[in-house]
Amino acid sequence: MESIENRLGLVSFTVDSEPHIKPEEEKCNNCSLKVCLYVCPAKLYREEDGKIYFNHEGCLECGTCRVACPEELEWKYPRGGFGVHYQFG
Amino acid sequence: MDRFDAVVIGGGAAGLGAAYRMAENGLNVLLIERGENVGEKSVYGGRIYSRVFEEYVKGFKDAPVERWVKKERLTFLDDKESVSIEYSSDETCSFTAILTKFNRWLSDRVEDTGALVVPGIMVEDVKLNPTRVVADGEEIECDAVVIAEGVNPMLTMKLGIRGDWKPEEVAVGVKEVFKLSESEINSRFDVESDEGVANLFVGYPIFTHGGGFIYTNKDTVSVGVVVRVDSAMKNKIEVYDVAEKFRAHKDVATFLKGGSMIEYSAHLVPEAGIRGVPGELHRNSILIAGDTAGFVLNRGFTIRGVDFAFYSGILAADSIREAMDIGDAGLSGQIYENKIKESLIMKELEKFRKALNVLENTRFFDEYARMMVEIMGGIFDVREESNRLYDVVMDKTKGRKLRMILDFLSAFRGL
Repeated sequence: MESIENRLGLVSFTVDSEPHIKPEEEKCNNCSLKVCLYVCPAKLYREEDGKIYFNHEGCLECGTCRVACPEELEWKYPRGGFGVHYQFG
Repeated sequence: MDRFDAVVIGGGAAGLGAAYRMAENGLNVLLIERGENVGEKSVYGGRIYSRVFEEYVKGFKDAPVERWVKKERLTFLDDKESVSIEYSSDETCSFTAILTKFNRWLSDRVEDTGALVVPGIMVEDVKLNPTRVVADGEEIECDAVVIAEGVNPMLTMKLGIRGDWKPEEVAVGVKEVFKLSESEINSRFDVESDEGVANLFVGYPIFTHGGGFIYTNKDTVSVGVVVRVDSAMKNKIEVYDVAEKFRAHKDVATFLKGGSMIEYSAHLVPEAGIRGVPGELHRNSILIAGDTAGFVLNRGFTIRGVDFAFYSGILAADSIREAMDIGDAGLSGQIYENKIKESLIMKELEKFRKALNVLENTRFFDEYARMMVEIMGGIFDVREESNRLYDVVMDKTKGRKLRMILDFLSAFRGL
């Protein structure tokens, strides 16, 4: 099995310094579902000591986390020209 | 800033269809795309139904078609085994393509017609009275706007034209593309160089709403899994590894042996059929098209969206043109509603309204997928005594015959 890190390594990105998705620390840590941990196809949400950590680098811009999140998740696309550059979409 | 007759937001199939048609009809059109290049944000499984493109795009014969689909295969997978049904024909109505390349080609055709295509710009807002589009701090005035922003309807929601998707209305698709030689693909899939295979899978590894897919391109193969977001949530499916699990099944792996993965991608797919189409598709002279409007038909064994997207763009373009001919762009919304209502898109979505109930039934994705494999296994198991088909079927369907008959009847009617 190819790890998700290796697979993301095949994808071309221009990472913006400012994240385009901003989970709210308090809401996330108190969330009882934490579905983001497994529905994100890039595995960008991680849990450590009960706290949710999110890294926008490697975001595939699918929108699944926004749809699945039981809270209002602040979700935007990256700015024009930034983010993922698929070649075989 | 220049004034345009119409601004199109999004360089996917829907936006490109709208821009192409409007420019062809003499309108002054601007298409804005957020990707650095047109096509780089578009992701799908792998197959496009060709008719609309053949009818509306000049020079379509030069489009970057990968392979014409001559074999349709439906495979039921359980953990170890599989059963496949294959339909093979000389006739074809669809082709595989890399959507990124296909949309880039379409974009070149759009520019040929005289429309202005500007990639690398994110539209921040669309405003009413007067109609204008805000991007890069500039306000661009126009008579009409086509929002073809894809499945995540961020601008459309802001305008209140539609709400956001519920988890049960969309599926997340993950795709891996493998490099293989053209001749390897031909021999493994038993096809000629310009012929392709569309293979959908039910069952393993998700055993719930969705399934796997393989599409053959010229010298690459697209492999992946689609799973409805609510089912992924409920069953705690690790979406980031689901394509890998699928690919590891021996009956999938056999097609990819020796190939190297060259890209991994993910995208949402509208799966609510007609229920995913909002009551209104416009606000004044702002029209929505493609995935934004929910124009995708999922029948379980086929999924159709790219041609609907392009065609809805064409209809939006024609509506704007007609309204402007009357001298009131504000009428374009109502004209569009009527055109869509009478179109092939809505006829198809309406016709398969019942398919939504059938595909809601998880037994098709779990119990019956496994049962197909078990029945075939029972027939072909001749280690000692052979089993009669009747005995195998009776045995494998024990205690669930009536429910099964009812389920299958509903499938016959709905799909």
